[in-house]
Amino acid sequence: MNSPSIALTAHLALLSSISFGGFPTVLPDVRNFVVTTHRWMTDQEFADFFAIAQSIPGPNMILMMSFIGWKVWGFPGAVASAFATFGPPCAIYFAAYRLWDRFRNAPWQRIVRLGLVPVTMGLVVASGTVMARAADTGWRAAAVSIAAAVILLGTRLSPLWLLVAGGGLGGLGLLR
Amino acid sequence: MSQAAREQELDQPVSLAALFVAFLKVSLYGIGGGGGLVWAGRIAVDQRRWITDQEFADIVSLCQFMPGPNIVGIAVCIGAKARGAVGTIAAISGFLVIPWGIGLALGLLYLKYAHLTVMRNILGGIAAAAAGLLIATGIRLLMPHRRRPAAMLFAGLAFALMVFSKLPLLVILFSLVPLGIAVAGIEAARAR
Repeated sequence: MNSPSIALTAHLALLSSISFGGFPTVLPDVRNFVVTTHRWMTDQEFADFFAIAQSIPGPNMILMMSFIGWKVWGFPGAVASAFATFGPPCAIYFAAYRLWDRFRNAPWQRIVRLGLVPVTMGLVVASGTVMARAADTGWRAAAVSIAAAVILLGTRLSPLWLLVAGGGLGGLGLLR
Repeated sequence: MSQAAREQELDQPVSLAALFVAFLKVSLYGIGGGGGLVWAGRIAVDQRRWITDQEFADIVSLCQFMPGPNIVGIAVCIGAKARGAVGTIAAISGFLVIPWGIGLALGLLYLKYAHLTVMRNILGGIAAAAAGLLIATGIRLLMPHRRRPAAMLFAGLAFALMVFSKLPLLVILFSLVPLGIAVAGIEAARAR
């Protein structure tokens, strides 16, 4: 490995280990590191990587870091960046789940659940709302979001059809 | 379904191939960020019945507190629950290997055509629908708690702080969760 790719991989591994609340929370730091400090890419390139990673299926933050790795060191850089992004958190998740599972049905676990789950589900609804606003191109897009939520809650229709319908309406230019 | 029948169904050994395929689907269907949560619930709880709604809510909550991409954490936990360490590796491989390859190729190609209006419009429509699905999933997992006023209050506070304040997620989590657990502890003590 050349020295820029080692620096990038080590930095991503560090950031992924402290990215509480999901990888997007450390994105500003990634930008500083690759654009400002090392000048491996321009701000425009960084923004393009973000937009593309968000709009293709798959693990989008891991993909975005892979684009950055690709830019720095081609295919090996892309692979190294991907591992640095998901490897350390995977180990932490596994250890934490083992611990939680060991205390299954303990009285304190029930209390933690009753306190914890409503807060995190409020946050899930909120992140859907924030995304709906980000995607928003007016009341038509908002209507699509609301309709998708109501249909998923009220019917057994596969969510895939709702995504296809949303993409179709958008492609026909009906959401502008 | 009776409790016994449900438990028996949950006890069936899960094949590693099934885990791989399930998380391959979660990954490919979860377009637009956050959508993976919708699909992980749909497949692991509704279709395969590997875990219950409650276990799924636990896993999602646990993953909120860990660093890294939360949806990867959900794959790790469901894999670990179903088959231990090898289950985790199967779920993670399904989630990452093929989608990563496709995504990298698509992305490098797409960098050349990102400016096309019709692409932007389609992606905008998908993103709007995906946001609605995420909202519905959160509401569904909240339903078991709907009879507890304190739970509804904390869910509402978390929602409002996230949407309307500029506070970082970590601040919201570490202020509301200890309070929520304390209130649940008082409720449990009173019920005794």
